[in-house]
Amino acid sequence: MSRDNQSNAPVALTPSGSGILHFFNKRFIFFSISILIMIAGLINLAISGVQLDIQFKGGALLKYTYTGDLNADDAADVATEILGRPVSAQITEDLASKEKRLILNIAGNYGVDASEQVNFDNALKEKFADNKLNLSESQMVEPFFGRKFLTNGIIAIALSFSLVMVYVWIRFSKIGGLSAGVMALVALLHDVLVVFFTCVIFKIPIGDSFVAVTLSIIGYSVNDTIVIYDRIRENHDLHPKLPVETLTDLSISQSITRSLNTNIAVFLSVSLVFIMAKANSIDSIQSFALPMAIGAVSGCYSTICIAGPLWVMWQKRKEKKDPKKLANA
Amino acid sequence: MKSKKPVFFIVLLVALLMAYTAAFGVEIGSFKIKGAPDIRFGIDIRGGVDAAFQAANLDRKPTPNELEAARTIIETRLDNKNILDRDVTIDKDNGYIIVRFPWKSGEKNFDPADAIAELGETALLTFKDDAGNVLLEGSHVSNSAPQLNRQTNKYSVSLTFDEKGTQLFAKATKELIGKNINIYMDDTLIQTAVVNEAIPSGKAEISGNNFTYDTAKELADKINSGSLPFSLITKNHSTISPTLGSGALDVMLDAGLIAFAIICVLLIIYYRVPGTVACISLLIQTTGQILALSIPQMTLTLPGIAGVILSIGMGVDANVIISERISEEIKSGKTVRSAISSGFKGAFSSVFDGNITVLIVGVILMIFGSGALLSFAYSLLTGIFFNFVAGVTASRLMIRSLSDFDALRKPSLYTCFSKRRTL
Repeated sequence: MSRDNQSNAPVALTPSGSGILHFFNKRFIFFSISILIMIAGLINLAISGVQLDIQFKGGALLKYTYTGDLNADDAADVATEILGRPVSAQITEDLASKEKRLILNIAGNYGVDASEQVNFDNALKEKFADNKLNLSESQMVEPFFGRKFLTNGIIAIALSFSLVMVYVWIRFSKIGGLSAGVMALVALLHDVLVVFFTCVIFKIPIGDSFVAVTLSIIGYSVNDTIVIYDRIRENHDLHPKLPVETLTDLSISQSITRSLNTNIAVFLSVSLVFIMAKANSIDSIQSFALPMAIGAVSGCYSTICIAGPLWVMWQKRKEKKDPKKLANA
Repeated sequence: MKSKKPVFFIVLLVALLMAYTAAFGVEIGSFKIKGAPDIRFGIDIRGGVDAAFQAANLDRKPTPNELEAARTIIETRLDNKNILDRDVTIDKDNGYIIVRFPWKSGEKNFDPADAIAELGETALLTFKDDAGNVLLEGSHVSNSAPQLNRQTNKYSVSLTFDEKGTQLFAKATKELIGKNINIYMDDTLIQTAVVNEAIPSGKAEISGNNFTYDTAKELADKINSGSLPFSLITKNHSTISPTLGSGALDVMLDAGLIAFAIICVLLIIYYRVPGTVACISLLIQTTGQILALSIPQMTLTLPGIAGVILSIGMGVDANVIISERISEEIKSGKTVRSAISSGFKGAFSSVFDGNITVLIVGVILMIFGSGALLSFAYSLLTGIFFNFVAGVTASRLMIRSLSDFDALRKPSLYTCFSKRRTL
């Protein structure tokens, strides 16, 4: 369905109006901010590396709750002795319930057979009979499954990237569809990287929740970018004579309340999920809500401050090269 | 012009009915609509067991028939443990049998590692007489299959024995004419059959009036499972305890309800009439999504919840865009009625384009995704569907209807607080 612009009353533009926010002029500040974030992320990546979730690298992880006192090194030694594989142990305590947890990470990229685990479980409970060990979570993974999931995930992400670009290209051909599509992708990559670096910095293992969060952010970021393109397309019809940077600044200014309001609503809800998961020590939800909250902010930022100005730069270059072509586009 | 006043109340009623159904489910006689209490949660949310079994001591890939037989063993054992809410799938390409089951509510004393180990044990299939003496073992059956008897047009189960089995079976049937042969898997009786005559050929048929293709195949699979040349091991399994699992569920539920309430309050304060309408339309979208999960019993996992959050975000966005547009149109001097219609018109293309791109992502995931991604894709696709139904259609119906009330035709009720004047 197409919009009927004729029904809109003609509007007068005040060129130096206080209403227009000048995003384009400040573009290099925004680019620097993003580049700084990327560099910070890369430095962190170089220092601490990526933590792949057990799903992707394979291995074995056991989490026990316990009472009383327990020495992590003792537990690791005992576990190594029983299993005949190196085991590292870690102790965490729940903020809210004060429940203590023993996490055993069994080295190697292969799992432990269930019957082997039963023996291990019994032996460990016997050795620490006073601590009332109770298995709360276990994961035994052959890397095969994760690899298959990861490959499928990457294929899916790459394909949806390209199809989204084609869609934007076709739907926004009026405002230089290809450039719009490419810039939407740049904004997307920006957000995916921000989500990725969030995981690196907060040491959140990359697992299937990462893939889901990335996909959510992709959906969210594309939607955000498209709303602005849509406004640009509409204003392009309304004010054909307007220079491209003013057109973009105007369109962003017009829809910025919407961008912020939607973003605040999403950010608020996801942060709430994060805070409550943190209070209850539920790792799986924390590791999913935190990157999602940060990704939502990034999605809003990249659309306004990165995709818009970059698109303008592209258009201006084209204008220089071939002024006639753009006027007709 | 015909008054549209009642439309709002009709939509509101629909929203409330949907909310009630989604929250509690509806049961009238034998007719039942499943609501939120019946949602199947993935083990990452509710806690439970997820295990992939593979053949042990086998230097080749198991055949599809062998995998089917192995699945039957696992199914039977799950039945015996009274674990009925489960999901057993076969990955034929890679030779895996994948088992997932959530905890029953109130489950406390259950050793998951033990359960997985037991599920994977080699099945022992035996043929016994009434006194419990073992006549022969499943490993002597070389094949069993469902078959259709052309003359009687009824299904039966064929049995073929190996050499040793032929001897043992001939001996047993000779002695037991008129008596029963009982087939056991482990300690479970799976079939009793009366011996009609001595069978020396090594080929037999179990027939009965009640066999359908499915029941005959089920029995044949069970018998075949006794002759599996491999046992099952699990290098791949994970468990999440019931306490941890239900904790995750409660947290998500509480957070979701609080977030929904906060968003509604903000929308109503900021956008007045369109904001109120937005809340009702979000209610329709959210409850519609809950029903889309609970009625077909799709398993909801954490990535699925990410999809729900994304689509609710898109729903909020659609309503915010519409409310902003209407407010903008009114500020530019239009009457409420024409501001509403041009506001919707202006908002439609961005809502449409935004949803279509997300739809593309959802469809691609549905095709290429596996496991957790499917749950994400499903929530996303249903979310987009309800976004169109609620965010675009229901919102428009409600706003138009409300603007027919004299008291609700003040432009100030449709403008937001934003002081920004862009034009």
